[in-house]
Amino acid sequence: MSGTSQPDQLPPIHSFLTTRPQTTLSRLYARPSACLAVFRLLDDVARQIVMSLLWLDSKTGVDLTAWVSPSETARKHYTAAVLGLVRLHIAKEGSGRILILPAFQAGLRRALTGGGEHRSFGVPYLTAGGKDQMTTEQLDDYALERWESILHFMVSSGSSIGRVPPPSNAVIYLLRRSGLMASIGGERNPDSRITSQGFQFLLEDSHTQLWDLLLQYLAMSEDQGRDLVEVIGFLFMLGSMQLGQEYSTENLSDTQKVMLQDFLDYGLIYRRDPEDHTRFYPTRLATTLTSTSSLAFTSSKHEKAASSEGFIILETNYRLYAYTENPLQIAVLNLFITLHSRFENLVVGRLTRESIKGALANGITADQIISYLTVHAHPMMHKNNPILPVTVQDQIRLWELENNRLQSDNGYLYEDFNSQGDFDLVLSYAKQLDVVLWESREKRKMFVREDGHENVREFIRRRAEAS
Amino acid sequence: MKAYKGALLTCDAAVKQILLMMDESEKFIIQDLDDTHLIVQMDQLERVQRMLEVELEKNTYSLDPQ
Repeated sequence: MSGTSQPDQLPPIHSFLTTRPQTTLSRLYARPSACLAVFRLLDDVARQIVMSLLWLDSKTGVDLTAWVSPSETARKHYTAAVLGLVRLHIAKEGSGRILILPAFQAGLRRALTGGGEHRSFGVPYLTAGGKDQMTTEQLDDYALERWESILHFMVSSGSSIGRVPPPSNAVIYLLRRSGLMASIGGERNPDSRITSQGFQFLLEDSHTQLWDLLLQYLAMSEDQGRDLVEVIGFLFMLGSMQLGQEYSTENLSDTQKVMLQDFLDYGLIYRRDPEDHTRFYPTRLATTLTSTSSLAFTSSKHEKAASSEGFIILETNYRLYAYTENPLQIAVLNLFITLHSRFENLVVGRLTRESIKGALANGITADQIISYLTVHAHPMMHKNNPILPVTVQDQIRLWELENNRLQSDNGYLYEDFNSQGDFDLVLSYAKQLDVVLWESREKRKMFVREDGHENVREFIRRRAEAS
Repeated sequence: MKAYKGALLTCDAAVKQILLMMDESEKFIIQDLDDTHLIVQMDQLERVQRMLEVELEKNTYSLDPQ
């Protein structure tokens, strides 16, 4: 669980929830699975607070500050955790006393003790024999293939080689909506290309990527007038399901059945018989949604040595060896290196001025390239300090700087002031407005940004009239 | 007191010299402010940037064997 307890940083879904009205959240917390999911995504301190208050039937709340060690960092953690809980409407705080709100309390209690007819954890589909069950490996294969086909589509849109058939229109719509891809020529045209934001997206781990897209999905559902509680509730339900178990759709609402269909495209859901709408398998992408360990998915057998351990060796002569046969990873590399040869489990390429320039022209920054190479560096590279050769890092940055050798700003040049006093007065006024881009006292000239021109001109006119 | 509309170019000294050279054949510079600043006509800006790009490319050599 390490790395999850950043004191003042909520996971993205929680940040999203805090922007919703309390009534929405109260309705969400009526589902035990949602309470459990929200609880699982809290950081350690917040969980501790919730757990200690959960079984307390106090109407006035409890003062927990005595538990907090007097050190400043501990106090900071505690205050941040309490603030997070209050913003999520899990608890409320008054004069140092904390009270867990009844909606969440009831929900989490039911989640932990079981019982009730809420069925918010999904209803398992009971099959007669075990032999036609899907194995977890098959589900992983399927989910990974689906997910990577989306990513691969994004990457390949930026280069001319190795185009991949596009995913469904719904997926493309979502990718465009989230700004990860931009359409070429009109809304209806399926041709899209990856944006700078899209490249950053590719560098994230799959857990973060998935949540990025799902948050967009939530916003989209809201625009379409779907009930947000149903949508989020369903996500959390998926997150609490068990991998390898088939579930029935019998108690799902209509909204949720539509979502099921959408999630097929992302690889969150698998249907053995595409025509049979009464049952589905959640894949690992879905069941790890609410787990805090982002490694849960990447540790599946496929990405083995590849993405979790790193596969890139970069030499000081700009040669790059990537031990991978994953078409997605090769396609990502192709965005900024020139590939020379390809072997069974290895591709060899070179960072060149042209390849980097091409990437920069696509809106990819030098820092993004360097961070990608660092994150995916081969274990052998970790013996070096810093991991990447300094010469290569510097050169990538220098290539980026070449593009910025000329900076231009539109505006007005003021000159021919009557006296030094006049000039200084106008200059100091313009500086207050923070619109001066260049000035020279000796030459009595200054350059004012376009948006400051009106004000400065007005100032000069008023002074001329006054004198 | 006078005010001119224009685009302020901020660049390094080398680029400025190239711009001055370019200006000899096609006038676009309104004022030469100092070593790293120039004022040019706004409507010429894009053309100047393109020309500079071409000029700078002439000064780079690719070491890639292929």
